[in-house]
Amino acid sequence: MPPVIDKTICGNCGTCIDNCPLDVLHWSADGRETEVKYPEECWHCNACKLDCPNGAIQLRLPLPAMLLYTASPHKN
Amino acid sequence: MIAIDKKSIECDVLVVGGGIGGLMAAIAAADGGAKVVVAEKANTKRSGSGATGNDHFQCYIPEIHGNDIAPIMKEMNECLTGGWLDQDMTHLFLMESFDRVKDWDSWGIPMRPHGAWEFNGHAKPGRPRIFLKYGGAPQKEVLTREALKRGVTIMNKVPISDVITNKEGVVIGAIGVSIAEDAPEMKVFRAKNVILTTGNTSRLYSPRTAGWMFNTANCPACTGGGRAAAYRAGARLVNIEMPNTHAGPKYFARCGKATWIGVLRDLDGKAVGPFVTQPTKELGDVTADVWHNVFEYKNKGGQSVFMDCSGIAEDDLDYMRWGLTQEGDTSLLEAMEKQGIDLRKHMVEFQRYEPILLGRGVQINQKSETDVPGLYAAGDEVGNFRADIAGAAIFGHIAGRNAAARAATISSFENAEDSPLVEKKRELYSQILDRNSGPSWKEATVAVQNVMNDYAGIEVRSEALFQTGLEYLGRLQESALSGLTASNSHELMRCQEALDLIEVGQLIMHAGDFRKETRGKHIRVDHPYTNPLLDNKFVTVRQVNNKPLAEWRDRT
Repeated sequence: MPPVIDKTICGNCGTCIDNCPLDVLHWSADGRETEVKYPEECWHCNACKLDCPNGAIQLRLPLPAMLLYTASPHKN
Repeated sequence: MIAIDKKSIECDVLVVGGGIGGLMAAIAAADGGAKVVVAEKANTKRSGSGATGNDHFQCYIPEIHGNDIAPIMKEMNECLTGGWLDQDMTHLFLMESFDRVKDWDSWGIPMRPHGAWEFNGHAKPGRPRIFLKYGGAPQKEVLTREALKRGVTIMNKVPISDVITNKEGVVIGAIGVSIAEDAPEMKVFRAKNVILTTGNTSRLYSPRTAGWMFNTANCPACTGGGRAAAYRAGARLVNIEMPNTHAGPKYFARCGKATWIGVLRDLDGKAVGPFVTQPTKELGDVTADVWHNVFEYKNKGGQSVFMDCSGIAEDDLDYMRWGLTQEGDTSLLEAMEKQGIDLRKHMVEFQRYEPILLGRGVQINQKSETDVPGLYAAGDEVGNFRADIAGAAIFGHIAGRNAAARAATISSFENAEDSPLVEKKRELYSQILDRNSGPSWKEATVAVQNVMNDYAGIEVRSEALFQTGLEYLGRLQESALSGLTASNSHELMRCQEALDLIEVGQLIMHAGDFRKETRGKHIRVDHPYTNPLLDNKFVTVRQVNNKPLAEWRDRT
């Protein structure tokens, strides 16, 4: 689910937790690690990824939000 | 029992919601000498529909558009945000718009990122272009910095649920809940003025992606809390019966139509609208802006509608990608890359999204005042004017200026914490938190979406549907109030949102039942005629004797 945190480079600085407009990200119960607590409430705004100082976050779009596309008859 | 902060927070101006409108209100009020607090549900750096950016800002620049404002007024009324605007408000907006553009430019939001003032997109051929193309990616960070620089106190993760008035019906404060910790804590504000800037109302109808309630074009944290609070405090709502819909990539609603440079076409490559046949950055394709049911119309004929950018010049493709980045649509760009979509040869299917309240809501006057003394509103929350980001910037500023001036005439605070509303809210929240079992906010939200889709939808409306819908929502409200459960502050916030949605839904049905005609997307099968006697008439709703009262008024 969105967002996906690479734990090997996450610095647990709390920036994404502070900034998420949907309160998706939280501290783990022990207060040490960043946790995606409410993945289904993600708006896909990308704030967490844009603001992460370590580049540790990627969004994974859920399958129901797949883009639908096909070849254009006008393609060059 | 929910904890309550014993110490009330005092301020001249309390701004509810730190989006574009809220931050501009805070900045202007602080410039006017007021002590300002912004109570924000999330974090002002990334909250609201402008969270990660925008790239188009309606404005009137005489040196570009000429001294005759009339053609620009016409475009305001006929563009994607037009339709339900008071004309005096529109004129005021246009007259102040360039000043705010210059403010933003001087603060570090690039309003002319390519040198000159540049107007592109959302435009019709042969008509003036009114959308300034700008680099809004840093807008929330910049406005937050400007507010802090002026001494504004920002309280993040504190959603506000209620406005407190005294016996004379004058604003004296507000109630909020801190969700910064797992355990919620109620906060009471003593405020001489309250400015409501809580944005649009998303999540009232279910999106096409069933079960994915947060897959919405506008910010799904905005759920009509300001409208519900304003109504309960005695303010009038206006135009809420008129559905507002937006369009964009089918199933991935986050980005909306945005800044695409292409042509809406069917599978055979035939343009579905009358405006463009080749991609043009100057115009975009305004079809979906102004012909909202083009998608249903084509679908019923066995066709889908695609955004086709093929044939676009390479420079324009770069310009579009830049625009999408500024608009905050980086997740869309990344998704297209991951899914192998090349806009030179692929076209992306579009659809109309579910209705939201945007530019339908709280009624304000030219000072941004509601009918309740000391209560102001601005931005997407307003019902008699709409210009999205630009509207929020201009009327947020107006609200802040006027609230600061009013604060200067009031010498002391009243004891908002003694209001019976505080105890009532404390009891409700405590019950929700203390119950061992019962429905969650998700159940309540899906339930209200079901009823809104079927009884106040955009396909069919009637007195019978509104009356039964009201009965169902009334029962849902009782069940929610007596049964909702939450295990932490996050869930409690979502419960309050569900309650707000139910209340706003009821008001939409009252207003919709009152407008006994068909107009635009308000399709009354029992009153199919668009009555010319109701041209330029708005429906308002306010609370009288604990009941909603709908009334007509003339457009001003």
